[in-house]
Amino acid sequence: MRHGVDQHAMQPGASSLTTLVRAWAPVLACLLLAVVLQMVVGPLLVSAGWDFAAKLLLDIGINVILAVSLTMVNGFTGQFSIGHAAFMAVGAYVAAGIVYYGSFRLFGSAEMAGGLLSSAPEGRQGAWLTRGDALFGLSILAGGVASAGCGYLVGLPSLRLRGDYLAIVTLGFGEIVRVLIQSQTTETLYDPEEIAKTPLWQLPKYLGGALGFSGLPFYTSLFWVWVFALLTVLVAYRIKSSTYGRAFLSIREDEIASEAMGVDTTRYKVRAFVISAFFAGCAGALFAHTVGVQLNAGELGFVKSFDIIIMVVLGGLGSISGAFLAAIILTILPELLRSVSEYRMVAYATALILMMLLRPQGLLGVREIWDKRTWRWLTGSRTRKRGGS
Amino acid sequence: MSALVLEASGVCKTFGGLKAVQSFGISLAGGDLKGLIGPNGAGKTTVFNLLTGVYTPDEGKIALAGRSIAGKRPSRIAAGGMARTFQNIRLFGELSVLDNVKLACHVRVKHSMWASVLRTPGSRAEERAIEGKARGLLDLFDLADRADEQGKNLPYGDQRRLEIARALATDPKVLLLDEPAAGMNPQEKKELRDLIRRVRDEFKTAILLIEHDMGLVMEICERITVLDYGKTIAEGTPGEIQNNPRVIEAYLGVEAADAPSGASNA
Ligand SMILES: Nc1ncnc2c1ncn2[C@@H]1O[C@H](COP(=O)(O)OP(=O)(O)OP(=O)(O)O)[C@@H](O)[C@H]1O
Ligand SMILES: [Mg+2]
Repeated sequence: MRHGVDQHAMQPGASSLTTLVRAWAPVLACLLLAVVLQMVVGPLLVSAGWDFAAKLLLDIGINVILAVSLTMVNGFTGQFSIGHAAFMAVGAYVAAGIVYYGSFRLFGSAEMAGGLLSSAPEGRQGAWLTRGDALFGLSILAGGVASAGCGYLVGLPSLRLRGDYLAIVTLGFGEIVRVLIQSQTTETLYDPEEIAKTPLWQLPKYLGGALGFSGLPFYTSLFWVWVFALLTVLVAYRIKSSTYGRAFLSIREDEIASEAMGVDTTRYKVRAFVISAFFAGCAGALFAHTVGVQLNAGELGFVKSFDIIIMVVLGGLGSISGAFLAAIILTILPELLRSVSEYRMVAYATALILMMLLRPQGLLGVREIWDKRTWRWLTGSRTRKRGGS
Repeated sequence: MSALVLEASGVCKTFGGLKAVQSFGISLAGGDLKGLIGPNGAGKTTVFNLLTGVYTPDEGKIALAGRSIAGKRPSRIAAGGMARTFQNIRLFGELSVLDNVKLACHVRVKHSMWASVLRTPGSRAEERAIEGKARGLLDLFDLADRADEQGKNLPYGDQRRLEIARALATDPKVLLLDEPAAGMNPQEKKELRDLIRRVRDEFKTAILLIEHDMGLVMEICERITVLDYGKTIAEGTPGEIQNNPRVIEAYLGVEAADAPSGASNA
């Protein structure tokens, strides 16, 4: 640290209070923004007759979580996971099982029992947050943790190996999850007495199997979705802009050099993968309890994973704001193009090929929209061609 | 005399049938500046790859600051105090020049990733220290005004210097430089020579230098090891090496009758 102390390091010591504020103010801002979306924006949209826009905002938020979390793996560390939807499925089913059977056990029915911050109006009980919300919130986290655990089990062996093993293993994992869920009994218990009698460890069998898990309470609201979406973005941004983010990016840039500079590349790749799986699990939990969704593992297969990859690639591998933008665009676009929806995959594939040819680094590359370099690039004052790979 | 920071002996590596390095040994103490030379394909870079853990030696001992490192992964060895540059430059091209150096400070970071996410006072203080250290190194290497450029956009000579700055940011005890002067013009080479000396004097780092520019090697290295076909054919001061017939033969490729080494062993 010979050169450690010079004018740059000698910034006036921030008082502990300002440090605390700077650390937590963004978290509070995320919460506040989510509350505003729920209490102001949502009702405004509904009263204007734009219910579809409110619903779209839910889908956008969930896709933001998915795209930004996948960015941490495919963008930051440069690995290629193509089974993100499987982590979503794990989170969805774990959370759904907890919420559904937990509601019966705790409240006697699977009726939605949320407060003002949850969605279905008929279920609202006047309070901001209720016991039902607590159950839902905890189940989202449980879904995330279960998904992160799966991420660890899948990532540890495959990320040790070089090359495309991760892609193959994640693809396989996605299929295994789907088949496992779909091959279970199609029964769902709905008799409170029967549920009360069934031992806890047997309940996970009754998740609807191939028919899908129906009867879930629709807790997912603008508040829940955007709290998680904004926190995902905040965490991703804070990681990226920290010394750990540089470690992740260095792996993607040059694994050998990264390792030579002291970055345990396997450990960091697994770490990114686990964090990413956690948020995907949370997204799955939110997805499962959305109005109009009938949770079915068949819908969380490769096609869904591919949708998320497209968002990450379109946004620019490694760019959080790019993934955010792409998630918005690619959620709205299919709605606009509903009439030609059967050609969606064709359009995606074409867009992807064009992208690879014209702008292989995606909309923003590794940059963020607020970077100085982005503006220089947008205004065209710097147009140096990129060399090899 | 200070204690040995790097001690290697009997290190061997075979690729298929090719004995790339045979029974290689070297010892370096803090502040030593030694050279490793030899014709193309002699096994110099392979020696670096063995010392830094990119390859595991088939045989032999390597100790860094008294601890055996043979078989450990490169990141562990780097954490133990070994840093290197690459013959075929390996910068983090998309990252800024500053971030290239900052990344290398990561190996000494004490706060956890959760501290980073929560932006704890400890993590902030350490990030500031990293920023200061990295800018200090860029100043030393005359790269300060390029701090925000992407690594891949630097001219060749700057990229080579950035690699050295990056390696130094890991606080190494041993610094391995693989042909740092390659592609530099005479003026840049002169500056590089002063820089290497300065690094040695200021950081008390032990330096092992691979270089094809004999002028540079002979001028700054205290001792030189010469490899040919993976074998150590000479070791000594620049004066001794310059007059060693086996070295001259290896470089000139003369088939001398009294040279039982080299070809007969391949
Ligand atoms: N991973 C590998 N697999 C097979 N052979 C290798 C490998 N790495 C190096 N070699 C061979 O080992 C020998 C020594 O290579 P090395 O790169 O160490 O030479 P060098 O002394 O650094 O040469 P140069 O001066 O050209 O850089 C060469 O014949 C090379 O082809
Ligand atoms: Mg070499």
